[in-house]
Amino acid sequence: MNETIAPAQLDDKVISRLKEIFGDDRVLTNNTDLMTYSYDASFETQLHPKKPQVAAIALSTNEVSECVKLANEYKIPVYPRGAATGQTGGAVSTKGGIMLDLSKMNRILEIDHRNMQAMIEPGVVQNDLNEALKPFGLRFPPDPGSANMCTIGGMVSNNSSGLRAVKYGVTRHYVLGMEVVLPTGEVIVTGGANSKALKSVSGYDLAHLMIGSEGTLGIVTRLRLKLLPLPVSRGIVLCSFARLEDAGEAVNAVFSSGLQPSAIEIMDFNCTKAVNKMKPELNLPEDNEAVLVFEVDGANEEVTSQVNRLKKVVEKYATYVKFSDEPEECEKLWQARKLVGAAVGLLKPGGFRVYGGEDICVPISRLPETLREIHNIAEKYGIICGIYGHVGDGNLHTGPVVNSNNKIEMENVQKMIDDIHELAIKMEGTTTAEHGVGIVRAKYMDVEHGPAMEVMRAIKKTIDPNNILNPGKMALPN
Amino acid sequence: MKTLTPEESMHTCVRCGACRGVCPTLNITGREADGPRGRVLMARSVIDGEIPVNQEIKDQLDRCLLCSACVDACPIDVQVPDIVMLAKEQIAAAAETTVFQNSESSIEQPGRLASTVKNFFFDKVLADQKRLNQVGNLLWMYQKSGLQTLTRNIGIMKFFPEQLREMEKITPAVLSPSERKPHPEYTPRANERKESRGRVAFFQGCIMDVMFRETNKNSIKLLSKTGFDVVTPKSQMCCGALHHHSGKKDKTIELAKANIEAFEKAEVDYIITNAGGCGAALAEYSDFFRDDPVWLERAKAFSKKIRDISEIIHEKGDLPKTMGHGERVTYQPSCHLQYVMKVKDAPARLVKRVPEVEYVELPEKKYCCGSAGIYNLLQPDLANDILDKKMENVKKTGSGVLLTANPGCFLQMKLGVHREGMEDVIETKHVVDYLVESIERAEVKAH
Repeated sequence: MNETIAPAQLDDKVISRLKEIFGDDRVLTNNTDLMTYSYDASFETQLHPKKPQVAAIALSTNEVSECVKLANEYKIPVYPRGAATGQTGGAVSTKGGIMLDLSKMNRILEIDHRNMQAMIEPGVVQNDLNEALKPFGLRFPPDPGSANMCTIGGMVSNNSSGLRAVKYGVTRHYVLGMEVVLPTGEVIVTGGANSKALKSVSGYDLAHLMIGSEGTLGIVTRLRLKLLPLPVSRGIVLCSFARLEDAGEAVNAVFSSGLQPSAIEIMDFNCTKAVNKMKPELNLPEDNEAVLVFEVDGANEEVTSQVNRLKKVVEKYATYVKFSDEPEECEKLWQARKLVGAAVGLLKPGGFRVYGGEDICVPISRLPETLREIHNIAEKYGIICGIYGHVGDGNLHTGPVVNSNNKIEMENVQKMIDDIHELAIKMEGTTTAEHGVGIVRAKYMDVEHGPAMEVMRAIKKTIDPNNILNPGKMALPN
Repeated sequence: MKTLTPEESMHTCVRCGACRGVCPTLNITGREADGPRGRVLMARSVIDGEIPVNQEIKDQLDRCLLCSACVDACPIDVQVPDIVMLAKEQIAAAAETTVFQNSESSIEQPGRLASTVKNFFFDKVLADQKRLNQVGNLLWMYQKSGLQTLTRNIGIMKFFPEQLREMEKITPAVLSPSERKPHPEYTPRANERKESRGRVAFFQGCIMDVMFRETNKNSIKLLSKTGFDVVTPKSQMCCGALHHHSGKKDKTIELAKANIEAFEKAEVDYIITNAGGCGAALAEYSDFFRDDPVWLERAKAFSKKIRDISEIIHEKGDLPKTMGHGERVTYQPSCHLQYVMKVKDAPARLVKRVPEVEYVELPEKKYCCGSAGIYNLLQPDLANDILDKKMENVKKTGSGVLLTANPGCFLQMKLGVHREGMEDVIETKHVVDYLVESIERAEVKAH
């Protein structure tokens, strides 16, 4: 069931050198262990799992550095991996090699609350950091839907974002510096080796070259993150629209009225149906084309006033409006949005939600048109599909649902995914807004970037001449 | 009843990783194969016949505690323990045939004597109140006759595995046969109660009723004192959880039917358990009768009535006056209680209502304590690591009382306290016993 293209160099000698670095317990060569390192959360690796030849669990920068030095000496590929919650095959092997599991490097090294920053290891889970920051009244804002399980190292490598990017931006905006193991095994610190500054324009911004490079240029072993104060309170406005276009108009009207919501989320009629199936007590309106959920945050009185203003603006377009600034009620309304990703699987009995074409991004002005087109594509292939996403950024998640034992559906869903990516480029958008390129988006890269792709390949070659770090990703050489 | 069978459920996992943070074994080792996603893939590969059945896969799957924390965390309720169990059953079946005897894919055969003893224990002892009672008598004799002191003195126990040796030291004192008379079949609500809070049946359990007789007696007392009229049906049997987890399907179904019948006759609003493990098994009886429409309906009606004692008292009971004595208390939840029965904070909420007590939340209480049936005997190394971490957290709370809600957890926590040499500092107790004590303390004070 697993494909392995084995490079010849990884012999017993390398394994025993790895055991010297990591100790016997943390070097895994069993068939069953390697099977469990053959996937991430992508549909691609469900269909075509890719086993490494060996997996190692790292606990320190030194171990990572020694491992990469060894790999570089023998020209063996190394695949850095966090929690493997990615959707693109970014953290799986493409040709055997060493799977380097960094999820156990998960210590929060320092919370410097006076300087609004924290130093962490890459395996720290987003939500764990935010729990630790709460007593200080601080937070690390980028919040992907997978915040409960994804590591911050993975977030940085993919430059992830999430629900609140519309107000707070993406992971890139919160990285002040990092310690990186280069493909030679050498360790550098970006953003000033001893710096605790919150701003710096000193030299090339190497951290920002690393962010979003998906582990192809270096392995992040420490992160210095910028933090923000926790908002005092939040308010929610949930509204429903007869037509998709009305929802689009409402978003425009909100922005032009000078409001800055902390999140604007859209769910189509399939999604509201699915959420109602999972949590009937939420009782979302089902007969309309779209539901929008706005969130605002700030001080108590600010939130109340924003909720009221928002309500007035959207009432002109919506057929149904529900709002609250009570924490418990807000949590209930917000839950409706949080559940969607998993709930769409319920659209079909025994259904399997496919991740693929799930984070395209288009200009806000072309959203209604894009949503209609996606439904047309789904209909063409006879596949049920729920669409939701961060409408404030034009970022959409498409969730096709199939039965994994239905061969025709499994083939059609692949074609459907390709069509959705092409549509994104046609709509002046991008194939991936937050999940990354990995293996699955590689085929769209040349079309999307043109000659710029050659510059990316040149950078890769300069920094990683032996092509040992996460090869075969992002349309870079395998 | 669960909507999907294990075979259906195992194909719905999209490997999102939502289960990663709650898995106790993954938390210790960081190996993907020690986490729920890895286990679903490995189990599924066994069930679908994609990988050879051998010692390697058996060892991997045996490391699962079956605690169900992952099911609770899963957005689509992938039934990880059921899937792992199904694979383990197939591995066990394969081990019995000679096909897998070649060196490539052989499975270590359990000793003949060991499996005979195990079968006797499951079929003849646990499933039979009378025999269980006899074991209780023997255990009592062992403890009272000086034999226990003798075996300890001559050091016979050193020939047993470390875990078993340690367990022997913390086994609770069993009541004498005369003190172990059957519970009264009917215990009305306490005298001072005018209005009944409901007619309930008490599920006494098998091991619980022999080794933790006092806790059972206190459970009936507590229900009565909080306003319930309590029936304790005589014909009730072991819940069958241990049989189910050992793949003994026929016996499990036989026990389930006997219990359904016994409690139907009791004509009660609720059936109350004081052991998370038993409660979870009883609440899932309907899964055994998928293909038996008559029994399915009866099982569903039965399971609907199952409540944990802390849950029913918190929701429907009337807790009388209680009194602490300035102690600091923490609570280690039972996995089956919090993840299968979904009773997450009722025990803590009850304890917080006791005046003169400082309740401290146990850090990382989401993780299983490592007891998990006989896990600590089968996987001593991993169980020790899990327990050490648990005790570190217990120590952080600075508590003098450590509460549990399940016999397995109770023994494991007691073992942990013993290993830390902290018996004089930390008292391990069942929530029920603790509440009864604080009620009685308040009663004494009132007089």
